[in-house]
Amino acid sequence: MHANHFVTKNRIKGIGPNITTSLLLVCFLLFVTAAGQSQEIDILLKGGHVIDPKNNIDSQMDVGIANGKILRVAAEIPVNSAKKVVDVRGMYVTPGLIDIHTHVFVGSNSGFADGFSSVSPDDFTFKAGITTVIDAGTSGWRNFPVFKKQVIDRSQTRVLAFLNIAGSGMTGFPSEEDINDMDSRMTSLVIQQYPDIIVGVKIGHYRGSEWTPFDRALEAGRITNLPLIVECHLPLLPLEEILVRMRPGDIYTHSFCTASDRTCLLDEQGRVRPYILDAQKRGIRFDVGHGGGMFHFNVAIPALKQGFLPDSFGSDLHRFSMNSGMKNMLDIMSKFLNMGMNLKDIIFRATWNSARSVKRDDLGHLSEGTEADVAVLSIRKGSFGFIDTGGNKLEGDRKLEAELTIRAGKIVWDQNGISAQNWLKKSGD
Amino acid sequence: MILLNKRNGLSDNSLAFILIICACLMPVQQVQAQIIDILLKGGQVIDPKNNINSQMDVAIFDGKIFQVAPDISIKNVKKVIDVSGMYVTPGLIDMHVHAFHGTDPDSYIANGWDALPPDGFTFRAGVTTVVDAGSAGWRNFRLFKEQTIDRSQTRILAFLNIVGTGMFGRFEEQDVTDMNPVMAAYMINRLFPDILVGIKSAHYWGADFTQVDCAVEAGNLANVPVMVDLGEHHPPLSIEELFMKHLRPGDIWTHTYANAPNDREVPVDENGKVKPFIFEAQKRGIIFDVGHGGGAFHWRQAIPSIQQGFIADVISSDLHIGSMNSGMKDMANLLSKFINMGLSVQDVILRATLNPAKAIKRPDLGNLSVGTMADVAVFSLRKGDFGFLDVRGTKLKGTQKLETELTIRAGKIVWDLNGIGAPVWDAKPQ
Repeated sequence: MHANHFVTKNRIKGIGPNITTSLLLVCFLLFVTAAGQSQEIDILLKGGHVIDPKNNIDSQMDVGIANGKILRVAAEIPVNSAKKVVDVRGMYVTPGLIDIHTHVFVGSNSGFADGFSSVSPDDFTFKAGITTVIDAGTSGWRNFPVFKKQVIDRSQTRVLAFLNIAGSGMTGFPSEEDINDMDSRMTSLVIQQYPDIIVGVKIGHYRGSEWTPFDRALEAGRITNLPLIVECHLPLLPLEEILVRMRPGDIYTHSFCTASDRTCLLDEQGRVRPYILDAQKRGIRFDVGHGGGMFHFNVAIPALKQGFLPDSFGSDLHRFSMNSGMKNMLDIMSKFLNMGMNLKDIIFRATWNSARSVKRDDLGHLSEGTEADVAVLSIRKGSFGFIDTGGNKLEGDRKLEAELTIRAGKIVWDQNGISAQNWLKKSGD
Repeated sequence: MILLNKRNGLSDNSLAFILIICACLMPVQQVQAQIIDILLKGGQVIDPKNNINSQMDVAIFDGKIFQVAPDISIKNVKKVIDVSGMYVTPGLIDMHVHAFHGTDPDSYIANGWDALPPDGFTFRAGVTTVVDAGSAGWRNFRLFKEQTIDRSQTRILAFLNIVGTGMFGRFEEQDVTDMNPVMAAYMINRLFPDILVGIKSAHYWGADFTQVDCAVEAGNLANVPVMVDLGEHHPPLSIEELFMKHLRPGDIWTHTYANAPNDREVPVDENGKVKPFIFEAQKRGIIFDVGHGGGAFHWRQAIPSIQQGFIADVISSDLHIGSMNSGMKDMANLLSKFINMGLSVQDVILRATLNPAKAIKRPDLGNLSVGTMADVAVFSLRKGDFGFLDVRGTKLKGTQKLETELTIRAGKIVWDLNGIGAPVWDAKPQ
């Protein structure tokens, strides 16, 4: 089509037949070349530093995306094979980030379940490089179908979920105390009904001293062979015994907090308690679960110095954390960067390790053929401050920023228009 | 006080005693230095209403602006925040958002998924007040109030849609029999005069100005401005006729820089010239609002307009699900676009504080006058290489970007990007 157009134009301008012939030839050759290379790649991320921990990649690579999937990750993929080339030199290209602790069962009621205290995931994820969130038990088996219809099916973000052992999820006090509504069989039946979405069981709020709720949650985990996430608002259950009861692969969240309703990770001398270290060695996974009240530098910094690192950076995103010291998971990752963790370790925990925590081997990496969920991050240098939930600050000199986020092969966030053409260049509407 | 005490049966002797104590206490209180809750120290204050654009300190006490002056003493201040090198402005007013979030599966904006609870977008962008642009009509405004307005930290005001069901569905929005100026005016004047600031006319595709005229009738009854999103008309209606014959001075035209000339007449013609009547309309008092949104801001309208001196009076976001992750992002990003198109920081702040406050007739907002509620934003102007997208997905490169360092709503810190208001974690207690 283009070739004809050019020839016609040239004829009008009175170019001789010889030149026309050679032009035609050139055009033909160009066409053949183009067809031979056919633009099989929709988006080519060019020249970035790829960190893909699952595939042991930590070097400069190009990433080609086609039909919503990762087509190729290699050094020097030719640009003429791509419809859109995005120059990401000087930036980090990583799997789309996974936030394993959020509350996104947003609705019109008060409180968390189907409520105003939860938030819509898309409002917060893509601008932070996140493509998958896991709801931490905001719903239970009774209202999971509402959650699915109302939020999960309507979100661009991939939303997975832990199902609360409390039948109606996080409905608040006192309904979450009702042991009669903690049914391991019903919980596991609903989990088995939605195997692609529900990734585990959650026990959250319980003020009694009986182990029944905990044991029922564990039982649902055993029936479904899925992990249990323990969001430890269980003031009368001793932490040491909780950890003993947990299975390898179960997740403990709110790891670095000094809240009064739980035992702190550190003992009175500021040492990580030996049974915590034992638990991690045994395979219990520790999530940050920052939230609006659950992350303190005076726990995290000594713990890190003693070599105790979290397995994931769950944000505990909800209405009361979104504007606080938490902000988003990328900001939490910047905190750990400034506490001394290296970038590769951070990306590992925010992608592949988080995917493993929820037994989703299909997520958190850039293997060829997987759904193209990709984050492009830059490290900004400067003077920054990061706040914990006690309102205290850590000063830092680096900050992660999300330049571009791709979800299922589609650009869903472009902070600075790196994928866009200049406004004067593009014609048409 | 004396009367009250008498009712309580106090004797004359004890009354006299109390009076003496009161008399002693009062002068002492006056002499003692006022305690300040928050002192923003050393910033460049931009307060267009009070003609301030210079280095000043801002003191906040009891949720209100206590003092704005150079070099306020740090004695008796509970929290001093060093904001030198930053801009201190009134909390921004975003005059065009859709905040009536809800779960009605049949609706798109009124109690629907496309609208957003505002708190997740406002404070991080320096916004403390939003004005909902007609998501609700008189039939469902109470639900909006109960569900979102009463629960949000952001101050939410609203234009009431002239359509009774608000923005429930595109077809319902065409129902002329549900456009009731009397009910709309009652809702504003009799029931919610503190929240409802105007009437919205939007998304109409009937062949004439029926909906606008209905909205103006309601505006006259309630003595409030009308905001018009003209919708789509084939052939397009004359906006010159709209500005000169149908709207009143003080009425608002939104989506100023949208470029879909086949559906709606645009200010900049095919040759890149601003049509002369646009300047006349602005002179007549028609207020031009940006209302960026997901489909209503094009560089090819905005850039020629600004080069030729046609600048929207109010810069607003049209925040909803379709704009939040696109070229719009948030108000700080949007103001940055205008800075990179050549406006000064002072000028963009004017168009996001005093100008919208005037447009909605709320002189209590958008300024830092002593005694007003302390809604304050602190910005830094970041230098570097940036890009800004319009709704077509094309880019304007820029070198400056506003970042929201601190937001204060009613005297309370609701956003602190870098912990400038926080102590260092291992600081020794004082």
